[in-house]
Parts: sequence; structure tokens; C-alpha cells
Amino acid sequence: MKKLVIIILLSSIFEVRAFELIDQCNSDKLSAECIQKLSEGFNFLKSYKVDGAGKDKIEYSYVFMKGTQYMINLCANGTITDGIVVSIFDKNRNKVATSKINGQMVSAINFPCNASGIYYIQYTFDEPSGRCGGSALGFKR
Amino acid sequence: MAFVAGCSSEKKTDEQEFLKTLDSTVENSGIDEDVINSILNQIPSPLEISVLLRESGTKFNSSILNETANVSRYNNNYKKALNLGIYGTDLGYTNIYGQNLDGIKYISVIKSLADDLSIGQFFDVETIGRLAANSKNLDSLVLITTLNFNHINHYLQTQGRDNLSVLLLTGGWLEGMQITCQVAAKKPSQELFEKIGEQKIILEQILLLFSFYTDDSNMAGLLKDLEELKTAYDKVTINYTYKASSMEIVNGVAVIKDNSTTTIDITEQNVKEITTITNSIRNKIIG
Repeated sequence: MKKLVIIILLSSIFEVRAFELIDQCNSDKLSAECIQKLSEGFNFLKSYKVDGAGKDKIEYSYVFMKGTQYMINLCANGTITDGIVVSIFDKNRNKVATSKINGQMVSAINFPCNASGIYYIQYTFDEPSGRCGGSALGFKR
Repeated sequence: MAFVAGCSSEKKTDEQEFLKTLDSTVENSGIDEDVINSILNQIPSPLEISVLLRESGTKFNSSILNETANVSRYNNNYKKALNLGIYGTDLGYTNIYGQNLDGIKYISVIKSLADDLSIGQFFDVETIGRLAANSKNLDSLVLITTLNFNHINHYLQTQGRDNLSVLLLTGGWLEGMQITCQVAAKKPSQELFEKIGEQKIILEQILLLFSFYTDDSNMAGLLKDLEELKTAYDKVTINYTYKASSMEIVNGVAVIKDNSTTTIDITEQNVKEITTITNSIRNKIIG
């Protein structure tokens, strides 16, 4: 009986771990995929993990320079963006770009910067599930 | 870990002492390391400057870079980290200009410094060397070099060695500044003056980073020099005007028209002063 209890206990632990592994967000892999998907002519700068488990938003910052064209893309497991929206805010928190325009979501933003400064790259989630993705930032002149 | 095997005990002691001092500074400052890492990650790549120079028709000039022979002079981790950043920018510059033979020399010294700092495992010298041997691989070469440096910075930050990451990025930024200033001195243009002027934004972030490490004598010394540069930059003004962007979807991409603007007020005299101070700081580091 004691043995049986131990076996059940161990197998339930393994089961939980297995579910955790399946459920885990592999944002590293998705970020790497996004690097390859940057449009022709863009030089890779940064990749970002977008693991939204238990979070309303994820935010990074970067100094964008006037005269430089930036591209930020999104990669997810399911449909194009899996409900992930990327937006760019200026230093005063004005929204200057978003991947959701008039309700339509796309997987990339092309942002030709006209004002140098610190910008915030924010990822939000439009769907309760699928809060897992990756993203890459590139530039060209 | 395997990478420690390559370090002599003397090197380890040197690094341990260096890191110990800085770790205690971070702890005492009460600043979350996430804050430091967040600032570190917003510093732009010096590659942007190299691309700007190439696109504006500036010719490649190897004489403005740090000579690879200087690597033997860097005998402590402070100098190694700073010069790793400097050589990283030099490699990016040679890559962008497709000067692969020069690039191979930089790969070698970068690998050597990275090994000394126990971060050599992130620098895939074999792949980079193979890509550098063929000028058709330019894009892949630039990509893998950027990835390697990103991995190094990420690793340092996750290991609580963000002090090294600060030095690496500062060295890289200073070299980008120096290259831009040298080019602007030979071929002055308003565009380059403005590029130099807008570096004020980055300098302010770097100064913020250094303020966390004032207990370290090396970093405090460099902070003093950077503050002198800040004094020169105080004469430069950047005015930002926000105006809502227009956005449309074109071929599945959100294409933005940024209607905000920045105007940068900088004179030739300001540029000369900034150039002199930048060169002086850089010479202390590479010498």
C-alpha cells in the first residue's frame, strides 16, 4: 500500500512537470524565428521574449534615432500574432505606433523614426490564451 | 563551469576583486538590477552609425580604429571589458564596409579578450571566421556578430556581472562616437553634427549607469571623464515636438508616418569640443 501511494505521488508529480513543460512558453525559439523573418535590408538589433503568463503587458525600451527606419515583428505559435499586439510609445508615453490598426492585427511595424529619443516597446494581449511569442527589432537607413 | 578552466588563478583573483567591489556597490545602492539591465538594453547598437557612414558615401578608413596590436596592453578586466566593446564596434565597422580581412584580425583579439573575461564561449569564432572568408556572407556575418554580443550582454546581466556589460557597451559607444567625430572632422556635414548631437541622449543613460558604480575607482575615474563630456553636451539642445502619427496597413505591415520631430542645436564649435574630449577619453582607454 505504502509503495502504491509513493508510485501515485511520484507519477502525479511527473505528470504536473510534464504539463508544465508542454505549457511552457518557448519565447526564445519564437524570438529566433522572428530574427529570420525581418524584412530584406533590415539589420538585426535585438530580440525580445514575449511570455505573458500572469502579466497584462511586457515592456522594453530602446533609443531610436531620427533618420533610421525600424522594424519590429511578432512571432507566435498559433495564428499570425495569437492576439499579441506590439505598440511603441515615446518618452512621454504618447503612442506613436501599433500593430493593431482599426481592429486589424498585423505581425510587423515599420517605423521610420523622425524624432530621436527613448521609446517604449510594449506587448499587450488581446486574447486570454496564447500569451506566448517572440519579437525582433531591426533597422535600416 | 567549463569556461573557467581557461583562466589562471591570478586572473580569477583580479576579476573576483573587481566584481566583488562592484557587486557590493549595486547591493548598497538599493537599485534593482532589473533597472540597470533595462537601461543597458536600450543603448543602441554602434552598427547604426557605421551604416549611416557607409550610406552617406564615407570611405572606409582603418586608421581611425583601435589597432589590434594594442590588445597586449590590456592587462586588467576593466580595460579588457572596455576594449572588448571598442573592438566590437571596430569589427562592426569593418563588417558593414565588407572589409573582411581587417575583420578577421578584430575577431581574433575579440576572442582573446572575451576568453580572458570568461565569456569567450559566446563568441563563435569558427563560424564568424568562415563567414568572413566570403564577402557574399556579409549579412550573415553582421547578424551573427550582433547575436554573439547580445548573448554576451544577456549572460553578463543574468549572472550579476552587469558591471562588465556597462563597460562593454560604454567602450562600444565611445568608439562609435570617436569614428563619427573623426569622419565629421574630415568631412563636416549638418547630418553628422546632428548625429553627434543626439548622442547626448545615450550619454545621459550611460552616466546614469555609471552612477551605480561610484565605489569602484576605475569606473569612478571614467565617470569623471564622462561628466566632462556631459559638460560639453550641456551646450547642445534637443527639442522634441510630439504630433500624432498616421498609420496604415500595407502588405500585412503597419506602416507608420512619424509626424513628431526633434531639432538638434549644435554648432561646429560644440562638435570640436566634444571631439577633443571624446578622443582624450578614448586614448586613455586604448593606451
